[in-house]
Amino acid sequence: MLLNRQLVFLYVTLAVSVGYLVTALSLGAPIADNGLTPAFFPILVGCAAIVFCSILIVQALRVPPEAAPQTDIANEERSYTHVWVVVAIFFYIVAFRTLGYFLSSGLFVFALILLFSKFEKLILKAVISAAIVGVAFVMFQQLFGVRLPTLWG
Amino acid sequence: MDFIILVFSSFSLLADPVNFTYVILGFVIGTIFAAIPGLTATLAMALLLPLTYTLSVETALMACASIYMAGMCGGSITATTINIPGAPSSMMTALDGYPMQQQGKGALALGHAALGSMFGGAVGALLLIALAPFVAELSLYVKTTGKFSLLAFALIVVVIAQRGRIPQAGLAACIGLMLATVGLDAMEPITRFTYGYSSLTAGIDLMPVIIGTFAIAEVLTQASARTDITAAAAAAGKVKIRRRDFLPPWSDIRKIGFGCYFKSCLIGYFVGTLPGAGGSMGSFLAYTETVRTSTEPETFGKGNPKGIAASESANNAVCGGAMVPMLTFGIPGDPITAIMLGVLVINGIQPGPQLMTDQAGLIAPMLAALLFSAVVLIPLTLWLIGPYFIKIVSVRKDVLYAVIALLAVVGSYVATYSTFQMFMALAMGVLAFYLRRNGFPVITMLLGYILGPNLEEFLRRSLALSNGDPTTFFTNPDSLFFVALTLVFVYFLVIRTPAKKPAVVNSKS
Repeated sequence: MLLNRQLVFLYVTLAVSVGYLVTALSLGAPIADNGLTPAFFPILVGCAAIVFCSILIVQALRVPPEAAPQTDIANEERSYTHVWVVVAIFFYIVAFRTLGYFLSSGLFVFALILLFSKFEKLILKAVISAAIVGVAFVMFQQLFGVRLPTLWG
Repeated sequence: MDFIILVFSSFSLLADPVNFTYVILGFVIGTIFAAIPGLTATLAMALLLPLTYTLSVETALMACASIYMAGMCGGSITATTINIPGAPSSMMTALDGYPMQQQGKGALALGHAALGSMFGGAVGALLLIALAPFVAELSLYVKTTGKFSLLAFALIVVVIAQRGRIPQAGLAACIGLMLATVGLDAMEPITRFTYGYSSLTAGIDLMPVIIGTFAIAEVLTQASARTDITAAAAAAGKVKIRRRDFLPPWSDIRKIGFGCYFKSCLIGYFVGTLPGAGGSMGSFLAYTETVRTSTEPETFGKGNPKGIAASESANNAVCGGAMVPMLTFGIPGDPITAIMLGVLVINGIQPGPQLMTDQAGLIAPMLAALLFSAVVLIPLTLWLIGPYFIKIVSVRKDVLYAVIALLAVVGSYVATYSTFQMFMALAMGVLAFYLRRNGFPVITMLLGYILGPNLEEFLRRSLALSNGDPTTFFTNPDSLFFVALTLVFVYFLVIRTPAKKPAVVNSKS
């Protein structure tokens, strides 16, 4: 089987390693005047990464399909909650300065609570989110003197 | 001797209300995080790392030391009572702790775990206090080529210590090294791998790497796994513990024997000094050694307090051991000491031989806090709030992970007031999540990232000093020592067939 979750990860890592090596090679010659240049170490690391990647890909391809470990995902319903968490964090960071700490954090915490639980008792969860955001604000701004962005400046 | 006196005089700093509060708070937070399956003291420390900006270095390091000690013993609570180790280092404790719980002796098992942790933590801290200055003095003899060989040794050992997944560990280390090469070159005014982003010129900051690797990746892992702890929470609800049940009888302690405690402590301490070995390996080796030398090996895995004592003594002694390379060479022994290294670096302190002499005043309070946590806080915490700790497992996971995510993302903003660092923390979190998901040890990536800049710099300096002659690494005695040491470790960890696990460990794992 040429494509499974682990192999896809390895192919991506291999592609990144090759890209890294190409960039390292573009930095110039690895050795000059009996000394190492800034290109030497990255070239070494890039080559090592490609070697390790290749070993892992060959190992993964040599495992017969029936001997491959059954992942939880293969047996159970696929969960993409982690993808939604990444999306939530991304939009939270984008909105952090624009909307200010309170609004962006309130929405973020509420969204995460919903992602980690069932879609019920929304008012209670909204209240919990507000409380968490308030406590975190006091901790960061008042206790530790960190300035957080707010809509009032 | 001066350093030992300095450490003991630093106990007076604990009388300061601010220091004392942070040490207590750190211990409680560390215990709570270690007791909750899925969370670790490493995560607690990663979340609290941004806050160390506002604390004095001494206070921050003292809090870190107490979190570390608490993290090592806190995992035994759920390992014993519900058979779910709160921390990986308590895995071996569950083998005998849970059978004792089933026999109605759960509180006694927790008492043995606390006693072992106390003993291990104290011996580890005392050995650290006694030996670290000597190691620091010895490290002064290590010159540039030796430093390169030492860092290479550390990186190779951390990779080959991951038995059964050495290629994965090697690749993870390479990824860490790749991250370390981003930004301005250390020796020439050339930027590398910035791809035009000026924010990357200074390189990738340590803070988003730690927060992403430990905090955000953990949230993603939990979101992906959606572990159902309903049964565990229900089991926790049924457990009733009284304070008087914690005290192990003297006859039990005599039966375990101080030899067992001390041997396990030594194993834990020396395993701790190895980069990447950590508490899990320390407790595993101490446990297997105890089973091997026992006259009644068949009783292990069925509720033998000796197994708990060995495991807990070793994993807490690791705390002292892991700090030796971190303080003297700037090489962290495990993820927690990597974060402690971060605290030092963030505050502009460079770990190394000079640290123990020039800035001993900063380090001594941390070691005092480590000893204080082991001797006073472990038994006191168990006595005061032990009966309630088991309820921790019932905490709402949705609220918990939302709080962790909020602290992690906002925490990465604190360092530079830049949303770029928040994005970087997210990117590191996603990377660490996929590495973990595919069986890659994240610690090797972190060590690659931390050791990378010095590794490259010492390599280039060594070759510059020797006019490009690579035999310099074999002709300088300090370098040759570490090359030989590397070969010894490669022989024992890779070439020689690993010793078989005891039957009890095999059957349970």
